[in-house]
Amino acid sequence: MDREEVEIEGNSEPNQQSSGQISHLALDIGGSLIKLVYFSRNNNNSVASKAGNASSNGNSRTLVVDGQIHFKRFETSKINDCIEFIHSRKLHLGGVQHHEAPTSDKIMIKATGGGACMFADLFKEKLGVFLDKEDEMDCLVAGANFLLKAVHHEAFTYMDGRKEFVQIHHDDLYPYLLVNIGSGVSMLKVDGDGKFERVSGTSVGGGTFWGLGRLLTRCKSFDELLELSHQGNNRVVDMLVGDIYGGTDYSKIGLSATAIASSFGKAISNDKELEDYKPEDIARSLLRMISNNIGQISYLNALRFGLRRIFFGGFFIRGQAYTMDTISVAVKYWSKGEAKAMFLEHEGFLGALGAFLSYEKRSLDDLKVHQSVQLTPTCTSPVGDKKHNPQTGCLNEYESIQCSIYAA
Amino acid sequence: MAALKDDPVLGIDGRLKEEGLDKAGLVREEACEREMVPPPGNSIHKSGSRPQLDLSKAAIQGNSEERDPTILLPNQSDDISHLALDIGGSLIKLVYFSRHEDRSTNDKRKKTIKEIFGITNGNRRSYPILGGRLHFVKFETSKINDCLDFIYSKQLHHGGLDTHSWNSELLSIDNAVIKATGGGAYKFADLFKERLGVSLDKEDEMDCLVAGANFLLKAIRHEAFTHMEGQKEFVQIDHNDLFPYLLVNVGSGVSMIKVDGDGKFERVSGTNVGGGTYWGLGRLLTKCKSFDELLELSQRGDNRTIDMLVGDIYGGMDYSKIGLSASTIASSFGKAISEKKELEDYRPEDISLSLLRMISYNIGQVSYLNALRFGLKRIFFGGFFIRGHAYTMDTISFAVHFWSKGEAQAMFLRHEGFLGALGAFMSYEKHGLDDLMVHQLVERFPMGAPYTGGKIHGPPLGDLNEKISWMEKFVLKGTEITAPVPMAPAGTTGLGGFEVPSSKGGILRSDASALNVGVLHLVPTLEVFPLLAEAKTYEPNTIDLSDHSELEYWFTVLSEHMPDLVDKAVASEGGTDDAKRRGDAFARAFSAHLARLMEEPAAYGKLGLANLLELREECLREFQFVDAYRSIKQRENEASLAVLPDLLLELDSMNEETRLLTLIEGVLAANIFDWGSRACVDLYHKGTIIEIYRMSRDKMQRPWRVDDFDVFKKRMLGFGDKKSQPHKRALLFVDNSGADVVLGMLPLARELLRRGTEVVLVANSLPALNDVTAMELPEIVAEAAKHCDILRRAAVAGGLLVDAMINTLDGSKENSPAVPLMVVENGCGSPCIDLRQVSSELAAAAKDADLIILEGMGRALHTNYNARFNCDALKLAMVKNQRLAEKLIKGNIYDCVCRYEPAN
Repeated sequence: MDREEVEIEGNSEPNQQSSGQISHLALDIGGSLIKLVYFSRNNNNSVASKAGNASSNGNSRTLVVDGQIHFKRFETSKINDCIEFIHSRKLHLGGVQHHEAPTSDKIMIKATGGGACMFADLFKEKLGVFLDKEDEMDCLVAGANFLLKAVHHEAFTYMDGRKEFVQIHHDDLYPYLLVNIGSGVSMLKVDGDGKFERVSGTSVGGGTFWGLGRLLTRCKSFDELLELSHQGNNRVVDMLVGDIYGGTDYSKIGLSATAIASSFGKAISNDKELEDYKPEDIARSLLRMISNNIGQISYLNALRFGLRRIFFGGFFIRGQAYTMDTISVAVKYWSKGEAKAMFLEHEGFLGALGAFLSYEKRSLDDLKVHQSVQLTPTCTSPVGDKKHNPQTGCLNEYESIQCSIYAA
Repeated sequence: MAALKDDPVLGIDGRLKEEGLDKAGLVREEACEREMVPPPGNSIHKSGSRPQLDLSKAAIQGNSEERDPTILLPNQSDDISHLALDIGGSLIKLVYFSRHEDRSTNDKRKKTIKEIFGITNGNRRSYPILGGRLHFVKFETSKINDCLDFIYSKQLHHGGLDTHSWNSELLSIDNAVIKATGGGAYKFADLFKERLGVSLDKEDEMDCLVAGANFLLKAIRHEAFTHMEGQKEFVQIDHNDLFPYLLVNVGSGVSMIKVDGDGKFERVSGTNVGGGTYWGLGRLLTKCKSFDELLELSQRGDNRTIDMLVGDIYGGMDYSKIGLSASTIASSFGKAISEKKELEDYRPEDISLSLLRMISYNIGQVSYLNALRFGLKRIFFGGFFIRGHAYTMDTISFAVHFWSKGEAQAMFLRHEGFLGALGAFMSYEKHGLDDLMVHQLVERFPMGAPYTGGKIHGPPLGDLNEKISWMEKFVLKGTEITAPVPMAPAGTTGLGGFEVPSSKGGILRSDASALNVGVLHLVPTLEVFPLLAEAKTYEPNTIDLSDHSELEYWFTVLSEHMPDLVDKAVASEGGTDDAKRRGDAFARAFSAHLARLMEEPAAYGKLGLANLLELREECLREFQFVDAYRSIKQRENEASLAVLPDLLLELDSMNEETRLLTLIEGVLAANIFDWGSRACVDLYHKGTIIEIYRMSRDKMQRPWRVDDFDVFKKRMLGFGDKKSQPHKRALLFVDNSGADVVLGMLPLARELLRRGTEVVLVANSLPALNDVTAMELPEIVAEAAKHCDILRRAAVAGGLLVDAMINTLDGSKENSPAVPLMVVENGCGSPCIDLRQVSSELAAAAKDADLIILEGMGRALHTNYNARFNCDALKLAMVKNQRLAEKLIKGNIYDCVCRYEPAN
């Protein structure tokens, strides 16, 4: 079993450590993407030393397992690939059940996202497992809280191409606004562990970008669309303040000539049809429109509840420099610099991570991360834009977190 | 009311694009105020050249000791004829003012009235405003030449000189400047200079928007409305409670402006996702050729094929934990990520709807969040994206309602497209609208209103004949046109709603729910009736036509009555061929109004029965039927006056108590003579006036259905030994001509006079059905006075009669001057009366009044049945309509109402 798994990993996940025992698998099945989080136990001798660390910290806990949390995603439309992946690695057999008794009656896998309901039968049929549905928002928040508290360099700001990690003290974390940009956008006010409220949202989200983008550009994938947007110039499509006021600022109301007055406002021209616009320009305009809108609505909601921090997550962000930039600019613009948009390293996996953490309540607080992020060596920037894209585009996919689970 | 007596104005200018109509594909229709023949019997000025106007005004103002007489001096008047433009990317909006001076008649009656009520003694307010009309017109920016032609033909750039005088030397006004706003004010400045020789004076867009919105919200009673689930509801906003509010202007982009007062505002937010986004993205995705086409498409769309709903994600179930229903859109265009379908595989209708929902919803959300931030309760949405489009308004309203949990309300403005142009108009130094009050504005919907939407193109129609031809063309076009409203409703004179897509001719109703914009008549002499107890909450209409069955009923009543009315109208004009043509045209126009209102009851603003009845009268006047019942009224007056002496003898033989009862019975009985009532018209074929009157009175059996007579009697005659003090002055709102006024109200007036109470007969300014008018009353009183000393002396005292013999006849009573009997006009030309807008002479007469008597269905039941007054009020009517009887008094047809409400 291990051997076979290693072979498959050769392509997609060259992290040798994952060949260890697999414990938990959790899923977040969204409208466009399926996110997997699974844990693999290290097959090494470090247990003793970790235990020693633990006791030296004054904790009377004993180390149970030591290993890594892995992150993986699939497009929902390719759910069969996902099932295949799970099956081939026997991830489903390492769930709550003891791995010594993989054949025992009912295997439950924690899952969240709308697809947890929709695809339950498929999982039962193909893998013989039951999906144990966890509330989406609960998972999101649990995932975010965990990451923000446990992982060292999790939150960062992104402005003008500069990424800056922000260290947030545990005691000063709450309340914050968590904006999860999936197909749609949810805005949650988080007041503590398990204490949160969905205060707002918008239907203009990642699904809109991808859906409209597909229709307008014929791109074959979300990533391709994002990639296109890097090369575009939205001025061709958007009506700028300068276009209306003849190149001069409408400074009376604080609008600069380059501000977008109307997204796609130039496309009303009778002279040009869809074919006459470059897909790059359209993608760029779309991205700016949606990012800007999310940034604005998020800021207004943060303002409403007096929240200083806004964390953006969800698959739409994907560590995309330009997306993050636009959202940051929007938040900065509307807040007149008083609020800052922050992003999470593991932004796409909040839900899956939360589902993962919901397995055994006792282990929740015991999960200690002792080594923040382990990037795989093979992940060299596959994306063209050198300026803006530090491998973040693929960061999550091949990433794992070293961690240990302690028994109380 | 003076301005109502103006020549009928076809305030709508419409140009219709209609397949098969004239070679340009256009039908033009225009106001032709100047060509109209003044109705006989009315002292009507033609709105002639300015010098003429100004001279007369100046003289009058001097005499009346106005505090600010210069206001109406010639040169100032010149300044008050204006045109302003808002030249946007897709539409040009014009607002222009045509002067209609307050008619200063030399009418002796009026003069006397002024003396009696002290109007000339400086206690009248001065009028800084000239009477006139504010017109609203739209053109497509791409057809700017039509707009230029229109301006030229009406000489609007030269202050709106009328067509007869502009060819005079007056034309030589140089360097005319026109206020303009909108991006096109820059772009087309040269074109205006070249074609019209005028310079555009650019006004800031936001300033104009806010000024326009503030004006509308303050000056027009039911300007704002909410729109939820297809239902419009007009909101009356207290001026003192207007600010602050959030004004959201949805143009290409969206501006959100916090308005704190006149000229006090701040752009607090905005979004780049606006109308331009809808149209831009929509064009790219659907290949639609126009914004309206795109909007039209959305009406047949189903966004579920393209949006990802909460139910799609959660397998058809609600995500109720966070309050999302299965039908909530989780992700706009979220389903389009499917690889199975390409752009071509989606219906353009669905795409358009999805786009519309996405953008409207987003605007609503961002607006609400900003309103919340500043604690603003009201959000007004305007701008070209809205365009009266029901779905857009619903979506925005839904978003605001949803996010605010019902605490904030999205509101829309009837004149939403004209905010900028109005604001530009108001930026003239002397626009004359500053102090305009709600009660001084009357909005009228001329004949073209139901046909033409918001479009007006082309030069004015030359004369009535062209107007009639225009109406005829519509009907000749056959079925698709006769169908109530052939085109996008709209706005003619603006109004309204949708402009456009005329390309679709008869079929296209872009949106039936769009609202029409009428011509605003500025009537400075109108005032709020001072005796209204709760003027702020006063609602004239008793019957609420928002109940659809009620609406249908009245439409049926009016439709059935129409042939008879047309007959009468044609006969009143001599039954000539010309009169017949006009009669036909009237019938068509009024039917079109009815059909339009049936389709969208809110099309002309808040609709009450009174509005409907007035609309009919206005429509008659438009086709120059100044008094359809003229001969009938005359005949009945004569017949009634002939039997009056006998009646008075009979009454004088009674004791006081019996007489009072008989008088009230007489008023109720005589009220049966009503040509507005179908049932009564049928009755007339069965007997003579006197026969019917006697029969009717004999049948009066107390108790009446509503019977406060005993309380009234106690007030009039006292109780036991206690004699009561007579009223100082009574206002008698009279109803019909003939027996009603002669045998009913006049004897009652005489009784009051005999008891020492001054009597003011309040009658219509303009004819409506067979209602007696203020113009006709003096003659009737004079005739009655021939046989009655009381009436004669009172009439002389009230200036209605100049009786040379009075001294010799009444020498013995010289020392006790008679109490006067007077006549004032009420300011209306309708069978009903809205007491928020009455003539200034009525308002003046009301000052010393302590009793008002409202008589007849129109004034005492259809309107004002629930009105409360600061003085004693008696409401008398016979109910000549079964439905109304059931509804209002739980009774039957011919039941009587005698409702007496003492002052508190």
